[in-house]
Amino acid sequence: MKIVVTVKLVPDPNAEKRIDPQTKRLVRSGVETVLNPYDEYALEAGLQLKERAGGESRVTVFSMAPEPLKETLRKALAMGADDAAFLSDTALEGSDVWATAYAIAHALRKLDFDLLIVGGLTDDSSTGAVPGALAEHLGLPCVTNARKVEIAGEGLEVERETDAGYQTVRTPLPALLTTALTFGEPRYASLKGIMGAKKKTIASMSLADLTLEQPVGTSGSKTELRSFAPPAARGKGRTVEAADGLAGAQAIFDFLREKKLV
Amino acid sequence: MKHVIIYVEHRQGETRKVTFELATEARRLADQLGGEAHAVVLGAGAAELAGRLKAYPLDTIHVSEDRDVDAFLLDPVVDYLQVAATAIGPSLILIPNTLSGRDVAGRLLVRLAAGIVADVVEVRVEDGVVLCTSPKLGGALTTTCALRPAEYGIATIRPNSFEATPGGAGAAVVPLEKPAKSYAAAVERDVEEGAGELALEEAPVVVAGGRGLGGPEPFETLLKPLAQALGGTVGASRAAADAGWVPYNLQIGQTGKTVTPKLYIAVGISGAIQHKVGMRASGTIVAINKDPAAPIAEFSDLMVAGDAFRIVPELTKLIENAKG
Repeated sequence: MKIVVTVKLVPDPNAEKRIDPQTKRLVRSGVETVLNPYDEYALEAGLQLKERAGGESRVTVFSMAPEPLKETLRKALAMGADDAAFLSDTALEGSDVWATAYAIAHALRKLDFDLLIVGGLTDDSSTGAVPGALAEHLGLPCVTNARKVEIAGEGLEVERETDAGYQTVRTPLPALLTTALTFGEPRYASLKGIMGAKKKTIASMSLADLTLEQPVGTSGSKTELRSFAPPAARGKGRTVEAADGLAGAQAIFDFLREKKLV
Repeated sequence: MKHVIIYVEHRQGETRKVTFELATEARRLADQLGGEAHAVVLGAGAAELAGRLKAYPLDTIHVSEDRDVDAFLLDPVVDYLQVAATAIGPSLILIPNTLSGRDVAGRLLVRLAAGIVADVVEVRVEDGVVLCTSPKLGGALTTTCALRPAEYGIATIRPNSFEATPGGAGAAVVPLEKPAKSYAAAVERDVEEGAGELALEEAPVVVAGGRGLGGPEPFETLLKPLAQALGGTVGASRAAADAGWVPYNLQIGQTGKTVTPKLYIAVGISGAIQHKVGMRASGTIVAINKDPAAPIAEFSDLMVAGDAFRIVPELTKLIENAKG
C-alpha cells in the first residue's frame, strides 16, 4: 500500500504566540517549529498500516511550508516515514484555507498513493476544513476522525468518532482518511531512526512544478484578515485558603450568590 | 452573498440548541443582506424537525428524507447542500462547528468555490461585506476576517454564540430533488455513546475534573451530583481522559472540546495551556485545588485552596438546600 501522510509544521504549541502587526502573520522567530502534534497521530496510522499491509508498502510525508522549515520534516522521517515531499514557494504566503487546499491538492496529484492520511486539526488555526477540501479536489472518499482502521479486502473498514458516538464505515481505495487522537499514541523516533533519517530524501517542489489555473497566496484567497486583537484580559481573581470542607464550600457558595449564579 | 442558508444537523429529527441559534441569526443576517433565510434538513426525521423549525423566523425550509443521507458518509449531504445552494442563489452558508460540520464545510467550499471562516462567534455585515469574528491560536487572539465578495461564503459557527429566539410567520417547507449520484463510503453501523448527556459545548454549567481526582469514581460520586444541582454537566482535563477515567468526548482543551458555559468549576485541574484554551472564554471560573499556586489560579475568578473531596459534597448540599 502506498501511503501519503500530510503534516503541518507549526510553532511549538506550548509557546506563547503573537502576530506581527505589520504583516498580520504569525511571528515564527524565537519560537521553535515542530510537527503539528495532531499530525503525529496521522503518521502513526500510516506507519501501522504500512506494517500491516507489508510487501512494497511505503509512507511518504508531505508538507507545505516556508523553505527554512524543511528540515523539521526529519522528525517524521525519524519516526519511520520512507521519504518526504516538500512544497515551498514565497507566492504561497498569506494563503487562506481555499488557496492552501488548492495548492496542496495540486502537489499531491504529483505523488502516487492508495491512501492519503491528513492530520485532522491544525494546532495553529484550528480550521479543520482542509481535509474535506482536499478530498473534493482529488475526488476521494473522505473518512474523518478514524480511531481504528482495518484493511478489508480491496478497501478499509474504519471505526470513526462522531459528535454522538462512533460509526463503522467501509470505503474503497484510494481514499482520504483523518485520524482522531484516540487512534493511539504516536511512536517515538528511535536512535536508529534518527540516524537513518539523515540519509532519507526530501524532494522539494515549488509552484513552478505544479499546473495551477488560479492564483494562490494573499491574492488567491477568498478571505481577508481585517483585524486581530488579544481577547479581553482575564485578571487573576481571589484566592481563598479553606480551613475545612464547609468553609471552602461556603466561600464558593457566597461567591456564586454574589454573581447570581445560584 | 445575498441569502443565508443554514445546515441543520440532527439525528433522527433530534437536534441541538445550535440549530435554533443559527435559524435566529440567519434571519438577522438575511435582513441585513437584503435576502431570504433558508434551512436545509436532510435524512430520516427531517420532515418532523422541519415542522418544529417553523417556529423560528426562516423563509424556506428545504427537506429530503432520502435514505442515502444516513446510509453513506456525508457525500449525499454535500450533494444536497450544493443542489440547494445552487437553486437558492448567491448566499452565506452557516454550518455548526462540529466534527461533521467541519467535514461538510471543507467539501462544500470546493463545490461552491467559496471562502470559509471557521469557529465563528460573531457575524456582521458592513457595506454588504460579511465579517466574521473567531478566536484563533487557542483563544490567544481574536481575529476578524472578511469573506471577499463572491457568490458563496461559508462560516462554521461555534455553538452557544447566538441567542435562539422563536418568531416569524412560519416558513414554507419544500422538498429537495435527489442528486443523481452514487456513493463510495458506506456507513455500516452508527452508535450513540453517552446518550442523554447535556452536550458539553452547550451546557450552561460545566463541572470539570482533573488529575487531582485520582480515579474514575469521583467523577460519578463527587462531580456529577454538583453538576446536577447546578443544572450542568461533567467535563474533564486531558490527564483524566488519557488515564481512561472518563471517555474522550468529555475532554476539554486544545485536543478536546472548547466550552463557553456561564459557570465553569475546575476541580483538581492544574490549568496547563492545553486545558486553558478550551475553557478560558467561560463566563465565571471557579477552581478548587489543593495547591493555591496552581497555574489555574491565574485565570480563575475564585480559587479555593483545599480538599476537593470535602469541599464539593458540602457545596452540593448548600446549593440543594438553597433550592429548597
